[in-house]
Amino acid sequence: MSAEPFKVWQCRTCGYIYDEEQGDLGEDLAPGTRWADIPAGWICPACGTPKSDFDMIEL
Amino acid sequence: MEVLGVPESDEPRMLKLTQELFGNADPDLNRSGKTITDAGEGVDSIQSVVMDFMMYFNAITEDRRAKPRDDLASLIANGKINGEPMGHLEAMSYYIIAATAGHDTTSSTTAGALWALAENPDQFAKVKADPSLISGLIEESIRWVTPVKHFMRTATADAELAGKKIAKGDWLFLSYPSGNRDETVFEDPFSFKVDRTPNKHIAFGYGAHICLGQHLARMEMRVLWEELLSRIDSVELDGTPTRMTANFVCGPKSVPIRFKMH
Repeated sequence: MSAEPFKVWQCRTCGYIYDEEQGDLGEDLAPGTRWADIPAGWICPACGTPKSDFDMIEL
Repeated sequence: MEVLGVPESDEPRMLKLTQELFGNADPDLNRSGKTITDAGEGVDSIQSVVMDFMMYFNAITEDRRAKPRDDLASLIANGKINGEPMGHLEAMSYYIIAATAGHDTTSSTTAGALWALAENPDQFAKVKADPSLISGLIEESIRWVTPVKHFMRTATADAELAGKKIAKGDWLFLSYPSGNRDETVFEDPFSFKVDRTPNKHIAFGYGAHICLGQHLARMEMRVLWEELLSRIDSVELDGTPTRMTANFVCGPKSVPIRFKMH
């Protein structure tokens, strides 16, 4: 387990939030899955926006 | 409405116009109070409501161009596309969609959720016992009610979907209630389950035009359910609910309930 704090990423199109700590079971992304470990071809489950169009945010 | 720039005193007017627009086919809600069977009469009725919206927002536009404020109306009134002022029809369309889409849909969903909870006491008990399921209740309510029933789209290229050929230029009727009960996506789709996981419904649409207000809608419902579920002990139907007669944006028209609160 990395000691680096978990980060949160948000889709620029629709506002969907990916929280590394929570993961997204609907996307088969287990809690703790790091953003860097999500395949580059992954798209926003809510609107289809590419992974490259997400921004890291602070909550 | 405050975000849009409509003063609180005009909120009843916005609600009335919205119900007349979306309830155009329903004699209890439309402007004539009659059942409309003639297509031309239906279009005229809709246009008269849209004209009233336009007159209202024309005045808002003039006001915000003269005195911009910190609201959405000021952004629309002074918005530019490629350096040119936004077109009148485009601006009016933004005003009208923001004024109509954000309240009737949410109230339909909460009414439909209460109806479903009254008919499924096990689900009511489950979310009462575990408030962390409120998120699930909200998503399931949105799937269950699907207040926006359809949009039309035009194919921009030839395609094949589930064995059906679609030709460029074809019109497509996107039936969201049907998609949200797709047996190949949802297990037991005709059951209301507050703990449904995953719940990848399409009630807000999908893609670049996904619902702009989806997060606001979820937040409004969260506030309601957090407050209500902590105080309500029981809920059951006290009559037969009715639905709006409509095929675009609609939901329950009345949901008579009997309830206990503390």
